[in-house]
Amino acid sequence: MSRRRLLTGGAVAAGGALAGGAAVAAAGRDGAPALTPVSTGSAVEPFHGARQAGVTTEPQAHAAFVALTLRPGVGRTELGRMLRLLTDDAARLTQGQPALADTEPELGQIPARLTVTFGFGPGLYRAAGVEDRRPGSLADLPPFKIDRLQPRWSGGDVLLQVCADDPVTVTHAQRVLIKDSRPFGTVRWVQQGFRRAAGAEPGRTQRNLFGQLDGTANPAAGAAADTVVWLPEGPPWLRDSTTLVVRRISMNLETWDLLGRPDREAAVGRRLDSGAPLTGTAEHDPPDFTATNDDGLTVMPDFSHVTRAHVTEDRLKILRRPYNYDGAPTAEGHADSGLIFASYQADIARQFLPLQRRLAERDLLNEWTTPIGSAVFAVPPGCDPGGWVGQDLLG
Amino acid sequence: MPRSLARLSAAVLVALAAALAPAAPAAAHNQLTSASPAKGAALRAAPTAIVLRFLEELDPAFTTVVLTDGAGQKVPTGEAAVAGTKGTVPIRQPLANGSYKVAYRVVSVDGHLVQGAYPFTVADPAAPAPPTPTPATATGTPVGPEPTPAAAAGSGGPPPWLLAAAAVAVLAAAAGGWLLVRRAARRRA
Repeated sequence: MSRRRLLTGGAVAAGGALAGGAAVAAAGRDGAPALTPVSTGSAVEPFHGARQAGVTTEPQAHAAFVALTLRPGVGRTELGRMLRLLTDDAARLTQGQPALADTEPELGQIPARLTVTFGFGPGLYRAAGVEDRRPGSLADLPPFKIDRLQPRWSGGDVLLQVCADDPVTVTHAQRVLIKDSRPFGTVRWVQQGFRRAAGAEPGRTQRNLFGQLDGTANPAAGAAADTVVWLPEGPPWLRDSTTLVVRRISMNLETWDLLGRPDREAAVGRRLDSGAPLTGTAEHDPPDFTATNDDGLTVMPDFSHVTRAHVTEDRLKILRRPYNYDGAPTAEGHADSGLIFASYQADIARQFLPLQRRLAERDLLNEWTTPIGSAVFAVPPGCDPGGWVGQDLLG
Repeated sequence: MPRSLARLSAAVLVALAAALAPAAPAAAHNQLTSASPAKGAALRAAPTAIVLRFLEELDPAFTTVVLTDGAGQKVPTGEAAVAGTKGTVPIRQPLANGSYKVAYRVVSVDGHLVQGAYPFTVADPAAPAPPTPTPATATGTPVGPEPTPAAAAGSGGPPPWLLAAAAVAVLAAAAGGWLLVRRAARRRA
């Protein structure tokens, strides 16, 4: 009798919880349209300009990173042909026009802020015989003790970073650009990622699949970001260029699940809800690494992610532009989730490497994260209408 | 009817046992097992190093040990040298007479943070004594929500008030069970 009552009571309680969940979901659905810009599909990012789009561009909701391996025999001339073709189609698609000889022209009519960003790996400079023009810091990263790199996610001679607020637009552009590239290169790897839907959280730092705000320390848009990202001077193939590091970071959701909230916050050094440092109350409060508790221990653990990653000078910062990935779980239901970590910086050796070394040495977050892919690219300057990306380097 | 009563008493006992048993997750977490200077030690000669031993192996990257004096000021120490479950921190300067506090923050093999602190005093009769006020209670605050052995120098287990409350509960349950069984027996008879 009492057991039956217990069971019934439990069912009622569970029903209540479900109803509550439904109410929240409904509220979310009702709230969303007000926030979503009406023009998500028709919004356009400029393609032409001194600097390539897709770098300091407000991150779109969906991304595909496509790395190509150049075919044997592809040199400077062939690269020029390939990049003319790719530039032309990218310019059209980003403006909501079908590609030349588009087999599905209707799919090219929703630009949804599409950007196509071209990156050149170290191998491209070798193939083209222009190694003397390679940016000094562009080289495969040194091995870090936390790395478990897999060839299937590493390296690449050419990178196509395709981003848009609509996943069909990304897929279509990826398809068009890969078809253009086929005579010149093979597909080395493709990494597809996502963030919150366009307009879901305007102006907010994105959350990774650990639930952490990811990118709080990014430089503010404008002058600070420009210092971090762009080379202000140099020969035409370097001025207004940047570099991109793409690392695939596997995140172990199974062991992360076992961790209590305070432990999670200690590992990252921030509150999970607000993103405030453990010494502050708001996301962008500067962390106080000298603040101690009654026992003399620093409030920010020495080995928290924020403590290790912290830099104050703009010229030492990086611009994080990451996307989440979520592969198919195993039969046991274990997640294949993580982060496509993408960081832009003017100089990999000056900005990215010291930071990465500090994290590899002593970042508690490493207990739950594993880099499984790594690639570096130069992002050459943009081009004017009629020109093509890479023209100053290869033309 | 008597069978359901027996089942009920069994359930009560199981629940009580669960409440009394040392919290299981604690076994997976690191814990300070011994320390030199010891917790609350009154030393007649100033120590030159702090040696802390833990239940699990330490990771030198994730081991922090801090020494503060009676005024809460940090005393300069070297980096913690880690060997297995042992961490050794050299004290860089001779300690004057007074009270001190050792605080540690280490990580369990599962990534769970464990931190705590304990006091000791130095009273070297040969040394001049600059006495300082002392906040002399040991603390051991698990950062996570899981129960963790709380005391600084390895004295685990539930606190006395919990033990007392549990004892009262056991007695009450036993008395209740006895009454029920008796009543059932009487009815059967």
